[in-house]
Amino acid sequence: MVKPLLFIFLFLSILDASSFKENCIVCHSNGYQFNMFMKKYTLKYSSEKRVKKAIFEYLKHPSFKKSVLPYGFLNRFGIKEESFLDDEELIDMIDIYYEKYNMKSKIY
Amino acid sequence: MYKSEKHTIFYVLGLYLSSTLLLIATLFISYYFYQKEQLKYEEVKELKKFTLDLTDKLLEVHEDDTIKYKYPISKNYKSAIYDIDKKLIFSTFDLKIDDFDKEIFIKNDKIYYISSLKTHYLGTAYIVIQKDMKPLDILNNLIILALIVVFITIITSFFLVKIVLKPMRNTLYLLDNFIKDTTHELNTPITTILTNIETLDSNNCDEKSFKKLERIKIASMSISNLYDDLVYLLLNHKKPSENEELNISDILKNRVLYFTLMANVKKLEFNLDIEENVKFIADKLKFERLIDNILSNAIKYTKVSTTIEIVLRKDRLSVADQGKGMSKGEIEDIYIKYVRFDKVQGGFGLGYSIIKSVADEYMIDVNIDSELNIGTKVTLTW
Repeated sequence: MVKPLLFIFLFLSILDASSFKENCIVCHSNGYQFNMFMKKYTLKYSSEKRVKKAIFEYLKHPSFKKSVLPYGFLNRFGIKEESFLDDEELIDMIDIYYEKYNMKSKIY
Repeated sequence: MYKSEKHTIFYVLGLYLSSTLLLIATLFISYYFYQKEQLKYEEVKELKKFTLDLTDKLLEVHEDDTIKYKYPISKNYKSAIYDIDKKLIFSTFDLKIDDFDKEIFIKNDKIYYISSLKTHYLGTAYIVIQKDMKPLDILNNLIILALIVVFITIITSFFLVKIVLKPMRNTLYLLDNFIKDTTHELNTPITTILTNIETLDSNNCDEKSFKKLERIKIASMSISNLYDDLVYLLLNHKKPSENEELNISDILKNRVLYFTLMANVKKLEFNLDIEENVKFIADKLKFERLIDNILSNAIKYTKVSTTIEIVLRKDRLSVADQGKGMSKGEIEDIYIKYVRFDKVQGGFGLGYSIIKSVADEYMIDVNIDSELNIGTKVTLTW
């Protein structure tokens, strides 16, 4: 019983990781950007709950007002397009992003 | 120093000292808490300064282009950072903070200072700084200072009370001197009267003269009794006692005989129940003063045509009259010198004072049972 469960878990993890790569890393190729975004969101929203909520809202309906990035950056690269992912998938991607890049777990 | 004066000094001293101590305690406690608050204020000042330093360091760490973030640790202070949802981000001490409304609080000799951040470096919305509380070292000094103040207060209050009581002491001194002089002046005439009465041959007198002679004799005995009391009071109790084995039975009988003449005037009867050969070691003159005063009081205060019950046993002597009796309050004050409850009767109010003085010297317990309008029973137990 344990083996099949472990297998399912591993399978889903791999699936999630490949989805994250497919949906996120494909555009934001390097870790630098991810780290910078996380710093900006953490600086403004502080807690995990609020950071995730803010990212979700931005990705669903991107706007200048909702963005945490500086004006110069937005002026150069513009506002991203609305995410085509459904809510559930988007939440999963944000969870993976937070898990990998949050600042709290990197403090020592 | 008079006993009453000593009592007054103790009472006034007690009152003065307790009120002074209360004042000192209030002042010192207020000062102590003021100093404690002052210390807390200083600590908070330091904590606020450190919070600013830590905020700057958090900013630096936040801006670092590294994969990991090194939390700024201080030797003197411990700190913790919490996010906006009050979840712990990082801490260098064990205590978990639940209440973020208090800006400052003290727990286990440690002071905590909580401040909030508008810009959330590393996600920080609250910074908590912990520091060992500096001990307040003034308590020992305050206690020493309080003891010195109390000591000075005791000395000054003692002299103050003495100055206040000086007029009273002078009055008592004058009264004592007056009694002393009077006693001295009475000595010769009383001796002369008593000696001459004894030498008068009553057989040669007619009935009228005999009665007059009896009255003079009773009056002389009263004066003589008073004189003996005064002498005892002024001289005898200051002298060392000449103790010997006394036959109290015989002494009691003699003293009853001595007072018979006085008792006859009020048509009193003595009901004697005296055990033979009761012995007691004491100064004869002092013991006679003791018995005389009890008997003379009983005669003085009992009603006319009543019986005085006198019982002597190996361990006790009781004299009961059928007089007007005394209230509880009067019994409590009875041993105070010069206190008299019945101004109609003569005397200086010395009787019970002498009784107490002799009884105390020989460890005799004096018990007074009295009921108003029924009578008084004085019991000596040894």
